[in-house]
Amino acid sequence: MGYFERALVAAIVIGAGTGFVGALVVLRRRTFFAQALTHGTYPGAVAAAAIGVSVPLGAAAASVVLVGVMAGIARVGRQGAQVAAGIVLTGGFAAGAILQSLLPGLPVQAESLLVGSILTVNDGDILLAASVAIVSVITVAVFGKEIAFSTFDPPGFRAAGYREWPIELLVLGLTAATVVSALPAVGAILAIALIAAPAAAARLVVPTYRGILFTAPVIGAASGVIGVLASRVLAVAAGPSIALAATGFFIVALVISKLRGLAWRRVAIPVETAEDARTA
Amino acid sequence: MTLIDALFGAFALPFMARALLVMLVLAVVAGVVGVLVNLRGLEFISDGLTHAVFPGLAIGLALGGTAGLVPGATVAALAAAVVLTWLDRAGITSDAAIAIVLTAMFSVGVIVVSRGDDYASELEALLFGRVLTIPPESVVPLILVCLVAVVAVAVTMKQQVFRAFDRSGSRAVGDSALALDLTLNAAVALVVVAAASTVGTLLVLALLIVPGAAARLMTERLWWLFPVAAGFAALMAWLGLAVGFAGSVAGGVDLPAGSTIVAVFVVGYGVVLLGRWIADRRRGSAVRAGGLETRPTPAGAPRPAETGAPRPARAGER
Repeated sequence: MGYFERALVAAIVIGAGTGFVGALVVLRRRTFFAQALTHGTYPGAVAAAAIGVSVPLGAAAASVVLVGVMAGIARVGRQGAQVAAGIVLTGGFAAGAILQSLLPGLPVQAESLLVGSILTVNDGDILLAASVAIVSVITVAVFGKEIAFSTFDPPGFRAAGYREWPIELLVLGLTAATVVSALPAVGAILAIALIAAPAAAARLVVPTYRGILFTAPVIGAASGVIGVLASRVLAVAAGPSIALAATGFFIVALVISKLRGLAWRRVAIPVETAEDARTA
Repeated sequence: MTLIDALFGAFALPFMARALLVMLVLAVVAGVVGVLVNLRGLEFISDGLTHAVFPGLAIGLALGGTAGLVPGATVAALAAAVVLTWLDRAGITSDAAIAIVLTAMFSVGVIVVSRGDDYASELEALLFGRVLTIPPESVVPLILVCLVAVVAVAVTMKQQVFRAFDRSGSRAVGDSALALDLTLNAAVALVVVAAASTVGTLLVLALLIVPGAAARLMTERLWWLFPVAAGFAALMAWLGLAVGFAGSVAGGVDLPAGSTIVAVFVVGYGVVLLGRWIADRRRGSAVRAGGLETRPTPAGAPRPAETGAPRPARAGER
């Protein structure tokens, strides 16, 4: 398998996995949180590259720390989840940049961690992404009902006697794992495009929860393939063109949903006159 | 090198003095605007703006060299501010839409940069800034951009605060929501422009978010938030530059200036957070020991932007 075919396979696997988990992220409105996670994994990735362990492992360790910090800040009075995410996000980047300059001679390039380099993925990266995708499908298959209930009706979920944090933690864990597995393809900055765009596009054109869970991975995989092909034809960086392909799907979905909202057929406005009412 | 040297002596060098001047102006303005960002809960929109400025920087650099940075970024930022304000009003802003807009803009920027010759180092300079190598002729434009932002916010300050705390009341007295949102978003955009060419697009967000959040921890009085945030930001900017200088010159480690400043901001926030936490605990234990019945403090007074009851997500929601 040549590097280009391998890149295509990686694009399909990663796009499908991020699309699937992205559906949960978008429906539960955790996009800014996921954004902070993607940015915050950067110092972990740099540190891992420096000490020679696998980059996804370092990114995963960093994301566990970050989730803890964010949960802690969000609980302090007068600081919200958005503040926590913003601080973790910028702090993560600053730490990554400092680490990088403290450790000269890193085996990886900074910009490949930031915007991805899908043409250099190895089989391990693809395997990791595939197993994360499979685990998330299994998780949703097992706990799908609870996840849907807690997503669409949090007060009802509490009132029914469930506790919220296990589901929240489950989705957070899946999000973090997906973000880490998407890093080789699109990097720390653009990973959020693959998480948010396919799911948001699916939500515009598909009316059901289950439908979104099926459609978003398809859109994600398609954006991956289109992005890689476009990057070869137009000779531009692959990560950004994957992100732009996903954005293209969102715009198409937005146009479709707006067009659907228009009144295409003339429908006579039912007018009931006093005469009609008497004769009826 | 002594502490005094690092804190004061370093700024006798012309490039350090220039960096200090720009950073102080920027910090004060970002602190004031950041309080409004905090009160309105606009953190994610600010993040969107920081990414949206990136293609402007890239195109400006490609067309006009370093002199093209500020004009290019200004055009891109103001355009993004209008688009984000419009998305917000049209009701299609979920945070997913913001995320899509910002990554799309950012991708365009990376593609523009990747067509150039010196891809890696250009990208890094745009992302992480070049605070120590600000050319003398761009100091005045940067300060002008900051001044426009702070004047725009200062003129509409009372109305902005009213809108942050009482949306419908603000509309009822006849304030135009569109004009206020546009003004605030444009001010944020201008701060982002000025900061992007100094600390870099990725780190701008720290200047906007951290001072406001720290001020919320330090005081409960509304009008004190603004001077406290500005003071905090200025102090941290000064310390950050000094730490970067001391580390690079005396310590022999090559600390990037922009990232060091942001790291100092985050550390300062951590110190404030810790102080607040200790103060709360001591007050809590004093109350318990004395058996005083105090006014029940709500666990974290909600930020005004969050008091509107959160709508539950719905599958078919447009």
